[in-house]
Amino acid sequence: MNSLNQDFTGYSPTWCPGCGNWGIGSAIKQALVQLDFSPDQIVAVFGIGCSGNMNDFLNAYGFHALHGRAIPLAIGIKLANHKLPVIVIVGDGDCYGEGGNHLIHAARGNHDITVIVHNNRVYGLTTGQTSPTSAKGFKSKSTPLGLLEASINPLTLVLTQGATFVAQGYAGDVNHLTQIIKAAISHRGFSLVNIIQPCVSFNKINTYQYYQERIYNLDENYITDDLNKALIKASEINQEKFPLGIIYQKQSPTFTEDLIQLKEKTLIEKERFSNTDLLIKEFI
Amino acid sequence: MVDFTIKIGGEAGFGIMTTGLFFSKIASRLGYQILDYVEYPSLVRGGHNAYEIRVSDTEVIALKKEIDLLVCLNKETLEKHKDRLTPESLVIYDRDEFDFQDNFQKIAVPFKKILTDFNGPAVMKNTIALGASLAIFGGKIEILLDLIKAQFEKKGDQIVKFNQQFAIAGYDEVKKNYPSFIKNFLTERQERKEQLVITGNDAFSLGAVVADCRLYAAYPMTPSSSVLHTLALWQDKTGMVVRHAEDEISVINTAIGASFAGVRSAVGTSGGGFALMVESLSLVGITETSLVVFIAQRPGPATGMPTWTEQGDLLFAAFSGHGEFPKIVLAPGDQKEMIELTLKAFNLADIYQTPVIILSDMYLSEGHRSVERDWFEEIAAKYKINRGKISINSKLKSQNSKRQLKTKNFLRYKITEDGISEKILPGTLGYFYQANSYEHLEDGHTTEDLAERVKQVNKRNRKIGAYLSQDFQLPNFYGDKNAEVIFVSWGSTKGVVLEAQEQLRKKGIKTGFYHFNHLYPLNQKRVGPLFRVKRRYILVENNSWGQLGKILAMEVGVRIKEKILRYDGRPVAVEEIVNKI
Repeated sequence: MNSLNQDFTGYSPTWCPGCGNWGIGSAIKQALVQLDFSPDQIVAVFGIGCSGNMNDFLNAYGFHALHGRAIPLAIGIKLANHKLPVIVIVGDGDCYGEGGNHLIHAARGNHDITVIVHNNRVYGLTTGQTSPTSAKGFKSKSTPLGLLEASINPLTLVLTQGATFVAQGYAGDVNHLTQIIKAAISHRGFSLVNIIQPCVSFNKINTYQYYQERIYNLDENYITDDLNKALIKASEINQEKFPLGIIYQKQSPTFTEDLIQLKEKTLIEKERFSNTDLLIKEFI
Repeated sequence: MVDFTIKIGGEAGFGIMTTGLFFSKIASRLGYQILDYVEYPSLVRGGHNAYEIRVSDTEVIALKKEIDLLVCLNKETLEKHKDRLTPESLVIYDRDEFDFQDNFQKIAVPFKKILTDFNGPAVMKNTIALGASLAIFGGKIEILLDLIKAQFEKKGDQIVKFNQQFAIAGYDEVKKNYPSFIKNFLTERQERKEQLVITGNDAFSLGAVVADCRLYAAYPMTPSSSVLHTLALWQDKTGMVVRHAEDEISVINTAIGASFAGVRSAVGTSGGGFALMVESLSLVGITETSLVVFIAQRPGPATGMPTWTEQGDLLFAAFSGHGEFPKIVLAPGDQKEMIELTLKAFNLADIYQTPVIILSDMYLSEGHRSVERDWFEEIAAKYKINRGKISINSKLKSQNSKRQLKTKNFLRYKITEDGISEKILPGTLGYFYQANSYEHLEDGHTTEDLAERVKQVNKRNRKIGAYLSQDFQLPNFYGDKNAEVIFVSWGSTKGVVLEAQEQLRKKGIKTGFYHFNHLYPLNQKRVGPLFRVKRRYILVENNSWGQLGKILAMEVGVRIKEKILRYDGRPVAVEEIVNKI
């Protein structure tokens, strides 16, 4: 029997009307249905923020983690049972700010998790402060005189740290986003999906209209396995131009594939070790 | 009766640690028991290193004041440690480097000349000294030659022989020039049992393996790092996954994720690293995840004195984490207790689905003691894994069972009498649930409902009561119940207090001693009565606040006025306690 969208449907979302989260939530569910998963077969790890509140709206094994800490927690789940698909649902403040260090190291470890970032370039749940992806000069409650820092480019950041799958989607194009998320979950290794998303309540600059004028789908002939071309493509967001699609993908052994102790079985399935004779020789 | 102390000192970076451990192992192989202690500064080269070993034919539980043989690889060693020498003490030194007028027994060994003769690097001084020391105590050279062979075998026969010649030279020097100083201390004991020479960190590592811990995460931090090294080295044999993550926050969250997915998990660190983990410890509390946290304390605050010892983080551990949630704090007194409590900690973490903190310190974590191999093997064989209400036999996706028609929301946080709820592993067919950092309903969904909040708080709090009635242990009592003087301490101060008690007994003074292993929470009803009788209670702690005293005052209402507190980075000494009485 195939799973249905409604199998994954939990509580009614509390997002603001018109929020980009609706489109993303819908794309995640559709991707899971189209990949023929059921709620008992996947794990979703959530950060804290408006996006993290999806924990109550999506039926699945889940862990609503701390702000910034969803990635290492997802890595731990994967280490214990690498057969479980693990997706990480986070926001830009969560993943690029508070948890930025974890993002870098997850990429270079090629940990087989899918990081889906709701990037609305503002802190929504805490009512509108600047985020790491806000543009320089952005005026917010925490930067009333305008932001002094340049914005982070999450795409080039993870590309240079060894990420094996980097994509960008748009909350306003659910069907295209669904395809990207499906590809990200199916990818073996670390995947980042940076999703451009308006915040209708607290970001009056980066609106739907703003993005409609600046997004474009990657050409069908775009080659995804050339890192240098990917870096150039990814750099376009520095000029507020947003290519959508898979920007880079490469096959490389995942962290758990490289762990010799997990060659045959998952960590949870392994037999208990009991031959302590092998260990105590060095103490005699 | 054999009971002597040897101390080897020299410049950091010249192999003092290896030499000291060799001596401990030699004594242990010959059937003697040892306790050793290292002193080193927080740098890789330069500065003063020292390695002290007390050897006896009975159990060694503490260091003693007098040094019987001081091996000086440089002049500084003599200057730093001569206050602990007596006129009978022997001093090995090189007359070509320095000389002294003090009234100690001089054993001049020409390190420099031997190095020149055999064209050896300065680090070989250690090997010469080891040979000379072995000769002084009447040990046979063969056992040292064997150890050297084992150490360098991989590098080929020539390297083995090259190293061995320095040991032989030192050995022969003493045999030839100082025959009258040779003592028959290290003769092979006939009725000897095979012994392990292990540190507290080794003991934790062994305990974690026997307890079936499958994931250990850590970020290097003295004095906990050797657990990371040891468990990482064993990975290919044990199958454990050891992750050296990017920071301590990642460390603890990795372990939380792994534990959520069903494997026994632990993290290790010292106070500063634990400080970074504390927000996530609170996450462990509310999500009711099982986790063992190993903390090897060192003097703080902040970077403090990284390579020295202190028991300064008891209050920090007991009250770590924002919000109210149950946790269990244990502290072993020695290597054997470390193995026992580590085994217990993994069961407690699973039974109560809560963090269990094991407190060690540099003195226990990095010092070696002898533990009989039979004892270890018996305790390992006897150990029973108890995973409480965690259902590990649940059908996982990988078993390719047929997909359920409809998945149900499992009641992960179901209200129960003892506060502990059943847990199934993610991937179990037919169900789903979330572990939630927010306050939640029985099914894991977020709630801000006041009644549901109170239900969950009470549920979590009931686990404290369940622990206190089922698994909390009163302090161990040593000595005389009717004694006027009763010592009170915890963790690694156990040995020195016991030794002080023995010395006081010989002077005709009877004492008693409560040693706490189960430190927090305390069972007020059972601990309170222990202090009801009017006695002279004396707190002994390796910190400046008397932290166990504060916990006793807070939790039990007992106030201990007399205190022996040491906080200069060194372990409490036996004579400090004896002199106080």
